[in-house]
Amino acid sequence: MPESPIAVGKALQRIDSVDKVTGSAKYAADIKQENMLHAKLLRSPHAHAKVKRIDTSAAEKLAGVRAFATIFDVPKVIEYWFSLRTEEKKKQMFLRDNLVRFIGDPVVAVAADDQATADKALSLIKVEYEPLKALHDPYTAMAEKNIKIHSRGNVAFKANKVYGDIHEGFKNADIIIDNTYRTSKQKHAALEPFGTCIAHYQSNGKLTVHSSTQLPHWSRHYLAGALELPLNKVRVIKPHTGGSFGGRCGLIHGLEVMCSWLSRQTGRPVRMSFTRDEDFMATESRHPMNIKMKTGATRDGILIANEVEIVSDVGGYGTHYIGVIADCLSTGVGLYKIPNYSFTGTAVFTNKSPGGALRGYGNPQMNFAQESQIDIIAEKLRMDPLDLRLKNYRKLGEIDPVLDQEILSNGLQECLEKGAASSGWKQKRRQLPIKGAKKRGIGLSIMLHGTGAGKALPDPAAATVMINADGSVNLVTAAADEGQGNRTVLAQIASETLGIDFDKISVSETDTETTPLDCGTHGSRQAYGGGLAVRAAATEAREKLLAYASNKLGVNEDQLRIKDGAIFETTNSENIILISDLMRQIQIEDMSVCEQVIGSATGVAPAMPGYYGAIFAEVEVDIETGEVKVLKLTSAFDVGRAINPDLVEGQITGGAVMGMGFALTEDLLVQDGHILNSSFTDYRLLRTCDAPEIVPIIVESNEPTGPYGAKGIGEGCMVNVASALSNAIWHATGVRLADLPMTPESILLELAKDEMT
Amino acid sequence: MKKVDIRINVNGDWYELSVSPGDRLIDVLRDQLDLTGAKEGCGEGECGSCTVNLNGQAVLSCLVLAAQADGGTILTIEGLQKGPEPHPLQKAFVSESAIQCGYCTPGMIMAANALINNKTELTENSIRKHLSNSLCRCTGYDRPVKAVLKAAKDLKEDINA
Repeated sequence: MPESPIAVGKALQRIDSVDKVTGSAKYAADIKQENMLHAKLLRSPHAHAKVKRIDTSAAEKLAGVRAFATIFDVPKVIEYWFSLRTEEKKKQMFLRDNLVRFIGDPVVAVAADDQATADKALSLIKVEYEPLKALHDPYTAMAEKNIKIHSRGNVAFKANKVYGDIHEGFKNADIIIDNTYRTSKQKHAALEPFGTCIAHYQSNGKLTVHSSTQLPHWSRHYLAGALELPLNKVRVIKPHTGGSFGGRCGLIHGLEVMCSWLSRQTGRPVRMSFTRDEDFMATESRHPMNIKMKTGATRDGILIANEVEIVSDVGGYGTHYIGVIADCLSTGVGLYKIPNYSFTGTAVFTNKSPGGALRGYGNPQMNFAQESQIDIIAEKLRMDPLDLRLKNYRKLGEIDPVLDQEILSNGLQECLEKGAASSGWKQKRRQLPIKGAKKRGIGLSIMLHGTGAGKALPDPAAATVMINADGSVNLVTAAADEGQGNRTVLAQIASETLGIDFDKISVSETDTETTPLDCGTHGSRQAYGGGLAVRAAATEAREKLLAYASNKLGVNEDQLRIKDGAIFETTNSENIILISDLMRQIQIEDMSVCEQVIGSATGVAPAMPGYYGAIFAEVEVDIETGEVKVLKLTSAFDVGRAINPDLVEGQITGGAVMGMGFALTEDLLVQDGHILNSSFTDYRLLRTCDAPEIVPIIVESNEPTGPYGAKGIGEGCMVNVASALSNAIWHATGVRLADLPMTPESILLELAKDEMT
Repeated sequence: MKKVDIRINVNGDWYELSVSPGDRLIDVLRDQLDLTGAKEGCGEGECGSCTVNLNGQAVLSCLVLAAQADGGTILTIEGLQKGPEPHPLQKAFVSESAIQCGYCTPGMIMAANALINNKTELTENSIRKHLSNSLCRCTGYDRPVKAVLKAAKDLKEDINA
């Protein structure tokens, strides 16, 4: 008889909730260290320039100024962890030169006794620039032959991939839809601004950095590389983090390395904190893309050809530009079984703030284009868009050609069915739009997103489980919790595997000094990749525990059960020992043993399973003002298995509103390299009164490679909000929008075009 | 620069402090009193992460000068809990899973506290309107609104009991 779960599948309270409601949870800016210096950055006012000379002489004379670090001395980290694989590639990760590549690019950092002195010092520094021609958009940058933003040229990366025969595909198509889509420069806008760290280079040659990174271990590698230190002399500690959404997927441009450099010069702890303005102006954002897409289908609704040309605006520095393009390819090809598929992706440097990872990676951009195309085809063929998708999605047992792996779990059909039933899709879709100025509509879209990095990137996970003499457990993991609750989920997996109650599990701090190598929190991977490591470590500990119990109770391990803090014989519950008694005996009492039960695991997840979702969006569009009111979002997601359904629903509702922002309001406006809306006043985030009714639906397809069947959720739930909303706006108004965000102005403009034709 | 002497009551205790004229309330709370529960998310009154209660009203502590608070009574997230049990708002944010990263949470709870103390009848709509001063990037707002509704109900039942 299978035992009923003790922790998995339960909405258990997150382990950090009490700390967070009492104000005792410490974030980077809350940490003070004795003798701490305060650092500030002087940033470039030019979008593209050569730094000729930096004169700090006047600032040096100011009392309380302790050290400077300049662009000439301190390397920038310009690639991501894929480049750690070889020494040759690793060398290219760190760039030390005299060029500034966007407005806000750090030029010199100063450390002083207090913030005010650091600010004053900045005003006394003189920098001589030789301005260079700035390339503000990717097409200009591609055409430009003489001005190179990076020495290897302005094209950062180009991918070409063809499946099948694209010409043959279009030849056999009865309908061909050809459009160009443009997506915005969305900002993460985590409530804790990006860019606070405290670096302390001690006299013993060891560097300790407190930083809110998603990737503590890779950050350690980056810092060791940039500062030429051995890995064991660098320690990264991640405190509580006020949201990341991909933007802390590595080091923050100009932050940790500069700060460490200042600390090495002074031997004192140095703290640097970016303001909200700096966060908007100079940290990573979503890559804006131009996506040209030509899609062909037969008249009975079989998708047979898709030709995609993407130009991605990388900004002045790269990091994730390759992965983001690769994600467009894998999610586009992976979702539908389109036999002829041609993909070109070009990532281009421009003199803008750097692009990077943002929840969904390249998928929200790609999904907006592809799911718009599919909807247009349904419209032209007079098919229900739900049926068209059911007909064409890549199903269980099929091979994903990009990832070269079999689809072992796929709950998309159930997502569509449950979402349709819950939202009243069939009925609402048939209803005529309301007469008058306010038109209502319903639209849907689907998505696929990968869990983890598979074979695309090094993706290690590790964990250690230690059972203590009182029967309590320490789980040691570097899994970085940015707010999702993944440390709670990992504790649930440990609890379930060990058979020891959840409240007996304590999860370690996120500290590279004491935890084994973990890739970090990215790619919706922690419940899956992190979870597999925890399950393996807990399994080893459980086996050792049962071996000791077997010895004590005189029965084989397979005759034993663990429950309520005790181990007993399955057929004779009186033959029993408390785990605490057993552990005390072998760890302390029996001096010939003195062994702690420890299980450890390190390695990589066996696959990159896709997780799926369907979103049904209901909108009301005022055709006099262009205003879109989102009435309801029904988000059905296949997460394999919800280890903690409460946390999964939290992701879905939060992702829904972030997706709405991407769809309707959010865009960093850049004019001649200047960001025009670098504040919450001007960069419009959605607020409580904008949030619609959100109905999260969890579908469990049981991924066979996942821990207890789990796969990801974090990113996917925001991916297809924009496409669902766009499809709903079309249903309400007949207007098809190709640009994000879909502002009232753009809707009115399209409505006016419709009237003229 | 000349300092200003102020006297403020924070979480039930009186403090006599010497502040710079430009010091904001959030600076004094965080740097002088080590009360880091109020967070700085923007420094210009747009995000609500720094919300505390001053004389019973929700204020953005990044927009109030410390000198302006002279003589005032301030309640921060650290002072909300009276006795061994967390405040009903804190309990409701936990039980309704209204927390993710937690950075906006202290400000949101303090905004809700002032709302509950100053209004007798609360509806979901009035809460949504009031909490619109607090940005949250994680939760999608649904659960914080539910948590405040629950806390308001629990508090009312406490009073009636």
